Amino acid sequence: MLKRISLPSSIRWLLPVVLVLLFVAIVFWLPWQARQLESNERQEQLIADTLWVEQSIRFQLGRHEESLRGLANEIATGHPAPADVQQRMGRMLKNGAELKSVIQVDPKGRIVVASEGAPVSPGGDAMLSPAALAAQDHARRTHTPVYAEPEPIGGDAPPDALKMDLLFPIYSGDQWMGSLVATFQLSSLLDEMVPWWFAQDNQISLLDRDDKVLARRSSAGPGHGVYTHKRALDLPGATITLMTDSVKSEPKLLPNLLVGSVIALSLALLWSLFALWGHISRRLAAEGELRQQMSFRTAMENSLVTGLRARDLEGRITYVNPAFCQMVGYPAEELIGRSPPMPYWAPDVMEEYQHRLANVLAGSITPEFETLFQRPDGTRIPVLVFEAPLVDKEGRHTGYMGSILDISDRKRMEELNRQHQEKLQASARLATMGEIASMLAHELNQPLAAISSYTTGALNILARGGDAAMLKPALEQAGSQAQRAGQIIRSVHEFVKNRESERQDVALQSMLDSILVLIELQARQHHVSLQIEIPESLPLVRADRLLIEQVLLNLTRNGIEAMGDVQPLKRVLRVVAENDPLAGMVVVQVIDNGHGIPQDVAERLFSPFFSTKAEGMGMGLNICRTAIEFHGGTLTHRDNPQGGTIFTFTLPVAGGVQ
Amino acid sequence: MLHIVDDEAVVRDALSWLASSRGIAATTYDSAAAFLAFAQGGAFDPEGDCVLLDVRMPEISGVAAFDQLAARGLTARLPVIFLTGHGDVPMAVDTLKRGAFDFFEKPFNDNQLMDRVQEGLAASRLASGKAAVQARLATLSSREREVLDLILAGKMNKVVADELGISMRTVEVHRAHIFDKMQVKTAVELAGLLK
Repeated sequence: MLKRISLPSSIRWLLPVVLVLLFVAIVFWLPWQARQLESNERQEQLIADTLWVEQSIRFQLGRHEESLRGLANEIATGHPAPADVQQRMGRMLKNGAELKSVIQVDPKGRIVVASEGAPVSPGGDAMLSPAALAAQDHARRTHTPVYAEPEPIGGDAPPDALKMDLLFPIYSGDQWMGSLVATFQLSSLLDEMVPWWFAQDNQISLLDRDDKVLARRSSAGPGHGVYTHKRALDLPGATITLMTDSVKSEPKLLPNLLVGSVIALSLALLWSLFALWGHISRRLAAEGELRQQMSFRTAMENSLVTGLRARDLEGRITYVNPAFCQMVGYPAEELIGRSPPMPYWAPDVMEEYQHRLANVLAGSITPEFETLFQRPDGTRIPVLVFEAPLVDKEGRHTGYMGSILDISDRKRMEELNRQHQEKLQASARLATMGEIASMLAHELNQPLAAISSYTTGALNILARGGDAAMLKPALEQAGSQAQRAGQIIRSVHEFVKNRESERQDVALQSMLDSILVLIELQARQHHVSLQIEIPESLPLVRADRLLIEQVLLNLTRNGIEAMGDVQPLKRVLRVVAENDPLAGMVVVQVIDNGHGIPQDVAERLFSPFFSTKAEGMGMGLNICRTAIEFHGGTLTHRDNPQGGTIFTFTLPVAGGVQ
Repeated sequence: MLHIVDDEAVVRDALSWLASSRGIAATTYDSAAAFLAFAQGGAFDPEGDCVLLDVRMPEISGVAAFDQLAARGLTARLPVIFLTGHGDVPMAVDTLKRGAFDFFEKPFNDNQLMDRVQEGLAASRLASGKAAVQARLATLSSREREVLDLILAGKMNKVVADELGISMRTVEVHRAHIFDKMQVKTAVELAGLLK
């Protein structure tokens, strides 16, 4: 029924597993990637900042070099007064706090002019350190300013405070005239040159070529060594490296609540996915079971020979099974959804269906009943219907489920059985009747034949002119034979009289009741509807029960059979009884709508051995009339004004005139 | 002689009275057995016999008695008229085919019955005559039969003697014996008897 795209189950399972794994990988990869990005960004920021710092140091040192060059040129060309030189030196010191002192030394190493803060030395000796001397030498040769290697300041300065000298050669033409020595304090260099916002986030150090720390500024605490950058300060003569080390540690894996909650939610999502999965597999299992049940049920319904039909509360058909369709000869599509009247209702039983439907609509059903269905080809099937309320899963009453049995075979058997029984009874009765008739005929024949012979003989003698005296014995014999015949007649009368002792006071209804089954069977077989109208107040009759039942059976059967050619709707047999108090009789009429009785048939109707029926024995009506007349009643017939015949017989009321 | 066979005394009496009223002599038998005893005796009336046989009788029925007569070839000599209470046509046809003379259903027209009885007696007489001639012929010797045949062919004694190779005298002796045995006096009378 259901066409499904069927993937191999391995793929069906693989796909969600792969997706879930991918999801998990991304969930773990994303924060890592974010961290990576952040760390890169910080590093780059650090590099940019470090460059900036280096640039500003270089720039400041450059400015100092420019000032020194100006001063040197002036000294070389103009020979300014020492006071002017010192004044200019003072301005230089004011321009940068990192610059501790400037001195002018002559080629012999003696101080010419010294700025404030220059170390005072006795004898005016500059007392240049070896490093400064080496640098001076180098500068003198190259004619360019050269920085000396940093060295401790000495004196009362802290031991780790280092200074760095810049030796600027003074040349007047090609004549070396000494040097300008500018001394920078390295720690001040950092303090002055590095902006506060940078120092807040980083530890900044100046390193010598052996990575020994020359100066350090770490206002926000030591660096973590995670984000570092080294940048050489391109100073001629000295190798100094600027190193920055961020105080920030590595970015945390779960830096904030957001990522945490995303992961938590993801896990919750995964869990709910698994829960859903479990639920779905349970559902699938249940569904499979249901489908199994369903196909089991369908197979069961299809294999049934019992028809199944469900109706809703309005009587609409909601379900039929194949057996029902086969029974009534309509396909399921034509039946489902149909409202009454149903196509399989037989037209002449319509009233009965409607009545039952009205009951169903009113909410009361007949749990078991027999009825007739009609197929499209007009064949009728007697059915036995069992019906029960249909209740849905909420316990609401939604309709009725009926199972329908085709009882044609059963009916046929019943009918056969009844016919068989009737034939047996009839033949038994016929045998008795035949025996009595035969006996009577034989018994009466002998005396009658004898009388005939005596009288003929007597006439013969008289014709021959014989003596009348010769006739005497013959005539005596004839007389005695006539008496014998009379004797036989009397004995028959006696027999009938004995039968009279069987009479009793009996209700017509009770006699009818005991043969009603037989009449109804026959009526149903011929599709005749039976109407019995016996008033409650009808008096008892004095009758031989068996004989009158026989009469009723004969008359009703004649009536039913007479209506064989009449259309089914008109096939009505009525049995009407009424009291005739004046005559002291009960009058019973058996009324049919059949073919009626033609005049020539009517004349011979009651004569013995007359029958219009092929299988008739011709005794029916004759016996009936005799039986009724034994009771002191009459049996007559007349035409029914509505067509057909009315047979009327009377029976004496019990206790009436005998 | 009319033989009335019926178990009912009244019927026997009435029928014999009827027969006597028509001048027919009658004897009665109250059972088939009694009548068969008579038939056995063979003391038949030379004036002819006729039998009225009731079909329904105790012990031996009319039909059974008729069958015994037929077995002895007496149905021509004793013509049987059946009497029955109930028309049993197939039985009647059957017995008529086997040689019954007639069949009457009660109640019957008595004088018609008697007319048939008369015819039965006549038939019986005829049968009785033929039977006598046959009996006489049976007494002839074989040589006498040969001579008789030639006489009936109208041959003279001399021609007969020549054809049989015997003497005239012997032929005359045979002829005298034949006439004697056949109880005739002339050849013409003999021819009439054997016609």
